[in-house]
Amino acid sequence: MATIADIEGMILRTGRGDRAAFSLLYEATSAKLFGVCLRVLNNRAEAEDALQDVYVKVWQKASGYAVNGYSPMTWLITVARNLAIDKLRARKAPAKNIEDAYDLADNGPTPEMAVVQKSERAQIDGCLDELDPTHADAVRGAYLMGDTYQDLADRAGVPINTMRTWLRRSLAKLKGCLSR
Amino acid sequence: MTQAGDHDKDDISLVGEYALHLLDAGERLAFEKRLAGDPSLRALLREWDEGFVSLADQFEEVIPPPRAKSAIDARLFGPATARFSLRAGVLALAVVAALAFFVGPVLWNTPDGPLYVADIAAQDRTLVVEATFDPDTAVIAINRTAGAATTGRVLELWLIAEGAPAPVSLGVMPEAPLATIAVPEDLRTAMLGATLAISDEPLGGSPTGAPTGAVLAAGSITLL
Repeated sequence: MATIADIEGMILRTGRGDRAAFSLLYEATSAKLFGVCLRVLNNRAEAEDALQDVYVKVWQKASGYAVNGYSPMTWLITVARNLAIDKLRARKAPAKNIEDAYDLADNGPTPEMAVVQKSERAQIDGCLDELDPTHADAVRGAYLMGDTYQDLADRAGVPINTMRTWLRRSLAKLKGCLSR
Repeated sequence: MTQAGDHDKDDISLVGEYALHLLDAGERLAFEKRLAGDPSLRALLREWDEGFVSLADQFEEVIPPPRAKSAIDARLFGPATARFSLRAGVLALAVVAALAFFVGPVLWNTPDGPLYVADIAAQDRTLVVEATFDPDTAVIAINRTAGAATTGRVLELWLIAEGAPAPVSLGVMPEAPLATIAVPEDLRTAMLGATLAISDEPLGGSPTGAPTGAVLAAGSITLL
């Protein structure tokens, strides 16, 4: 099972052009990153495209990883989530087949993947709990599904400007809590 | 280590919105331009990304199909990598070693600042060029992973800046798949959000200063 330190080593070696390390990194992390792409895009073909973009970017950018200060999984997940949401925003009509997407993918997690995220989950959850529940839901919707302000406003049944004002205020509060 | 307290409250929320991907395209681009020149803003973004990441525990792991990795390798290393003969392999190694000597410092030096990237590709991916622009050195490193100019023709690289009336030539692409192209001083700030395009041109490049042949591939420049 790959540890965080293993993954960090794989990224650093990938940054030196080591293709074997790149393949190991892919094995250890692709199920997580594919999961990110699938959840955001809710469409298998698009998620596969996004996953390709993610690892192309990881290969190209790995040499800069050592100096960017990110922990390894945060960096990988951030790259994947941003690319997936870029793709989501680029398309016109949303796909509606999340059930299909998951049904097709009935392989369970492998041991390598049990890796990764043993992070301070309690902290973000605890900090979100300090917010108004509607605002906390909005933060989760934006992070996990790539919702836009329009999506969030529609769901909460408020004007978009109201949602933005709420969320900006809540984000300032959230950052204060996370920095404690 | 930068702490949130070093930043004004508007920036703290703005960076949070950026991290959540809530800014619209224009706001996002404007923010990325600031981000490129402001290390403390990048540190704040990292704090936000690290803060949010445990929400990603909720992304269920799903094993991608094997074709995904083959496609990635083909995009990065070319489709023929596994089929080299020994002789071709030795020759390729010599070429790579020579290239590494000349362009390696540009391609593989650890960048301190942000990198801009573009995947300049034909719709059917018969021509694919990965471009990386380092604003610190104002050099575009290109890696052509598929396609080439036809005999007696060349590929020319064009910059189409946001809102610009016409493409500007960045020069004829060298024959080698790995190469670098310097970006003129006055175009450096126009790179982010611009589009890079490749056209088919006569030897020596377009005689008119505008693309004369078919536009074969295009891709937008994004912040990596």
